[in-house]
Amino acid sequence: MPRKPLKLAWGVRREGRSLWTRNAVRGVSVRGERRKTDSRIEWRAWDPTRSKVAAALLRTTGDPSKLLPQTGATVLYLGASYGSTCSHIHDQTCGAQNHHGGQVVAVEISPRAVRDLSELASLRPGLVPVLGDARQASQVAPYIRSQADWLHQDLSIADQAETFVRMAGEFLRPGGAGLLSLKAASERSSDGDDASRFAKAERILQDSDLELLERIEISQLEEQHVVFHVRKTDHSAQFTQTNAE
Amino acid sequence: MRIHYDWRLARVIDSEAAVVDEIAWSSKRSLGALADRLHDLQSGRMSPEARALSERFPEAVADAMGAMSDPDWPELDEDEQKLLSEASTRLAKRGVADAAGDFDRRLDMLSSATTELRASWTTNEARCVEWAGLFLAEVDLDGQRRVIPAAVAGADSMDSAATALGVSAPKHQPGETEWIALNAHASGVVALGERLRSTEEATRELARQYVPTLSLLLGPLGAARLVVLAGGRERLARMPSGSLQVLGASGAMAAHRRGAPPPKHSPVLFSLPQVSRSPRWVRGKIARFLAGKASIAVRMDHFDGEPWDEERIAEINQECENIRARFPKPPKRR
Repeated sequence: MPRKPLKLAWGVRREGRSLWTRNAVRGVSVRGERRKTDSRIEWRAWDPTRSKVAAALLRTTGDPSKLLPQTGATVLYLGASYGSTCSHIHDQTCGAQNHHGGQVVAVEISPRAVRDLSELASLRPGLVPVLGDARQASQVAPYIRSQADWLHQDLSIADQAETFVRMAGEFLRPGGAGLLSLKAASERSSDGDDASRFAKAERILQDSDLELLERIEISQLEEQHVVFHVRKTDHSAQFTQTNAE
Repeated sequence: MRIHYDWRLARVIDSEAAVVDEIAWSSKRSLGALADRLHDLQSGRMSPEARALSERFPEAVADAMGAMSDPDWPELDEDEQKLLSEASTRLAKRGVADAAGDFDRRLDMLSSATTELRASWTTNEARCVEWAGLFLAEVDLDGQRRVIPAAVAGADSMDSAATALGVSAPKHQPGETEWIALNAHASGVVALGERLRSTEEATRELARQYVPTLSLLLGPLGAARLVVLAGGRERLARMPSGSLQVLGASGAMAAHRRGAPPPKHSPVLFSLPQVSRSPRWVRGKIARFLAGKASIAVRMDHFDGEPWDEERIAEINQECENIRARFPKPPKRR
């Protein structure tokens, strides 16, 4: 018996253990994923073993819809790689021909990955590919239209948590949500084993201006990774204080 | 006073957040022009409008991130968003095309192709020699090794291959399709050898041009391997010699983290005759010495130093000899 789909957001739904997003480009799969049509809407399978965001949606103990950006949001994606996760985020925030008016800025340093990413962008208006260093705010700033409502960082570098806190400080709007996919293998080996590297990152997030909402364990879907869900507090940015006065 | 700016607008803002002056990008907004602008902004340059304002207000501080958190900053309209989106895609494609101008990436392709070709040539050549040798029992598999693939590839039957190699005809003949397969395999080995030679030659040429001093010291192929393993010349130049020394010995390095003794040299350094032809007990000493010299050599190449000449290289090789002469006998076991 088919399970009743659970709506997580406008363009994302869950059926049992699988996730689907509303395909913004009909008839096209990004990485050969399954597609299906349900009452004239095409849905595209979102593989949780290939996407940490999808894994986090399945494993969170809280409300999974809180992990997703709203339609029409401004999204900053640091470490977009070949853009498979990006495409699903784009499905949700922009929709077909960007009728929601969203913006997904996808930053990636590898020209090989950006090559695929810009192919993706030519089919998906609203997706902005950036070839640049995701650790440097000045390389990202020219492309993003305003502060981001939603930020995801997925970089294979040391000091991922410090970078995330810094970039969230620059780009995340107060009240905006952020996801940090932390890869243990990228941190320095002098930081000890995986568990202590995760603990160190958790401490860095707790000591920052960001509010740590949840640490989501995604083992079995993605090994050696943990996703942190944070929120930027409404009063942490300076200018909102001056606004309120 | 501060200057906030993005690609379309620049403003001077005083301490009360009031706009003192502003200039908008007024000339024709084309895709190419915007892509150029975005490229300049990304490299940390100011927009022309921001520069004009900073001349008008020399005391104002330019803030590249200012527009981002400025609550009064005007939003992009729909056309501007579309233009930004298209321009950034174009700029990304331009950046992808520019990647070919990066010698690190070119050397990576060449050096990796060399390694892969060498591996597949070795496997295929060995199979070809064994295969032909199975039929031609009289062929000297060591002495004639180099000519066997070419002889089999150029023959039209096993008998003519035997004639070409100067041995008597085989006792058992391969079947018709079997011969076709053996012949094609041998042609493949010959072609693979050609490809290996030309790839190695191209790698040497690029390495001699890109890392001349390091190529002189370690040989161009070894130098290329080190650059590729380090992930680029810049990273190799900034690497301490202790890391350079064990580049490529990733397995041994991982074992070291779990408590094994540290690796003394990498496959790259070990393949140098100065190291591999030395007695076991001085290899570590020579590898350390050479790694130190190599890390200086690559810094010469990267930071525009004067390349070393043959004389300097000869001195270094002499020093390797001296180390060997100082330790003629293995250390006593306790």
